[in-house]
Amino acid sequence: MMLKLGVFELTDCGGCALNILFLYEKLFDLLEFYEIKEFHMASSFKEHDTLDIAIVTGSVSTQRDLDLLHYARNHSNYLIALGTCATHGDVQASVEGKIRDKLEKVYGTKANPMKALDSTPIVQHVAVDYAMPGCPYDKDEIYQVLMNLAKGIEPPTKDYPLCVECKLNEYECVLVKRGIPCLGPITLGGCNAICVKSQLGCIGCRGPIPKEANPASEFEILKELGYDEEYLRRKFKTFARGELRW
Amino acid sequence: MNIEIEAFTRVEGNGGAEILIENGEVKDVKVKIFEGPRFFELLTLGRHYWDVPDLEARICAICYLSHSVASVLGIERALGVNVPEEITLLRELGLLGELIESHALHLYLLVAPDLFGYADAIRMASKHGEVVKEGITIKAFGNYIRELLGGREIHGINIKPGGFGRYPTIEELEQIESQCEALLRPARRVVNIFAEQEPLGATVQHYIATNEYLYGDKLIAEDGEKFDYLEHIEEKTLPYSFAKQSRYKGNIFMVGALPRVMLKHDMLTPMAKHFYEEHKEKLASGYVSFNNLAQAIELLYALEKAKEVAKTLLDKGIEGENVPIEPQEGEGIGYVEAPRGVLVHHYRIDEKGNIAYSNIITPTAFNHGIMELSLYEEARKRYGSSDETTFLQKLEETVRAFDPCISCSVHIVRL
Repeated sequence: MMLKLGVFELTDCGGCALNILFLYEKLFDLLEFYEIKEFHMASSFKEHDTLDIAIVTGSVSTQRDLDLLHYARNHSNYLIALGTCATHGDVQASVEGKIRDKLEKVYGTKANPMKALDSTPIVQHVAVDYAMPGCPYDKDEIYQVLMNLAKGIEPPTKDYPLCVECKLNEYECVLVKRGIPCLGPITLGGCNAICVKSQLGCIGCRGPIPKEANPASEFEILKELGYDEEYLRRKFKTFARGELRW
Repeated sequence: MNIEIEAFTRVEGNGGAEILIENGEVKDVKVKIFEGPRFFELLTLGRHYWDVPDLEARICAICYLSHSVASVLGIERALGVNVPEEITLLRELGLLGELIESHALHLYLLVAPDLFGYADAIRMASKHGEVVKEGITIKAFGNYIRELLGGREIHGINIKPGGFGRYPTIEELEQIESQCEALLRPARRVVNIFAEQEPLGATVQHYIATNEYLYGDKLIAEDGEKFDYLEHIEEKTLPYSFAKQSRYKGNIFMVGALPRVMLKHDMLTPMAKHFYEEHKEKLASGYVSFNNLAQAIELLYALEKAKEVAKTLLDKGIEGENVPIEPQEGEGIGYVEAPRGVLVHHYRIDEKGNIAYSNIITPTAFNHGIMELSLYEEARKRYGSSDETTFLQKLEETVRAFDPCISCSVHIVRL
């Protein structure tokens, strides 16, 4: 039996939906098990139906986003929050201030006819069955998750820091060796340490490791290296507003 | 009575349109951009310049590399940094990769289903698998270049002020050179497919582009004048859209592939130029749907040019050294041609190297006015003479011709 799949996009850069198309031939492998009922970036086809699986990307940044999220939740059996916007709020949630003040700065008026909201992750509004962060997430990971679900297996969740993948790749530690502000020690692994591969520090786009992260210690280390507290505060907040305390 | 297009499909981001009908006539069309605002300019304020290109990349996934490069160019101009030719060529190669990736995605996977009569490329694949497969192969190659220069397929962090994190190897550049050659043949075919597209939308009166093919230090229009965006472009806020609208000397204008080939056909590579000459009259008629034909010609251009750039780099060899930067006060604008048109990143930087002012204008925001006008013209022409399904389908095709990237259009700002 084919599983019914819907992809819903709230406010984001479009990358999480796009990354599904970047599966190329593997996308056709998934289509052996899934029937796409809604995916507006890729298709003009749409069918109002109960879904087996809904993938929701983006953050809740307008009333429309919130309504669409509730629609997706109420019409699906299994909901995947895909990408850091959905799981942690991503960059737009780290912009400080109240929505009307932000609108005034950008549009010159506090009026809010389009009903914009302060950006929040979807996990704050509805129960999700699986959360996969990443800005963008690793496309092979979503492939595996969807394959697992098609076979009736609950997909495993990653829970180790990025440093593990860095070590497995035998990359030189940019933090220790070169004093580059790398958020690897407190960031959830799963991207195969791709930024460190470019000899740059991890920017924390997969959000903090649940429970285990020790941001206070990372903060102290970076302060000792001479980085400004305000600079570090912003860096820590960029992808995961409110989740890191130090 | 109003007709709603609830949400445009096969475009990136969330937007729709409202067609206002009065006494049996189309009175007005509003393009509503309801993708939520993301406040990128506020996000970058107070941030150190080094981290800014990585943040700006996240404005858009389809053209993240254009945002990174525009950001880096604005920052380098503000800080008085000049990079050697090698770095400029590598950035150009990245932009060409993005053009290949983005145009292939748009032409083969998002627009071609209209020409072949399907709801999407997946459904189209059962009968026209070869075309879809060629599109995917070309797109994957564009992404290979993006990953190589940008660090990742989406939201890479390798493009930095003063240079790169990691430089490509000789083998990787050789790979690009040979792949470009191999993909030219299928790409020629797509030009012929799009040469058959029907004229839709408004006819463009004013074109804007950057002075070099994929970037520049100024903008140009059809009269040849070189100018900075603040001199002739004005923006206004709309009550029904998170995107603002721009005017050039008070007029509606277009940015994108069609303006580029019209204003810069002298810079095209041989095979691209050949096809430009062949379809010159059609392109010059200015119907916005011929933007897709222009994209197909540019796909050839990008493959030919990427091969040429890779060869130049191979001949010279890669030094792989970044230009050292001292933070200082300054102001700079970066102009880049994102696949769907002119992209502006404008910054002021303080003495510590933090961003004090930032303004970004994206191509879809520039095109917002001509998009509305095009829908209006197309709706007026068809209302009453087409059945509703065809009517709505043709309006969607008209919008799709711009390759609108709605996610990126919503955070233009002037502080």
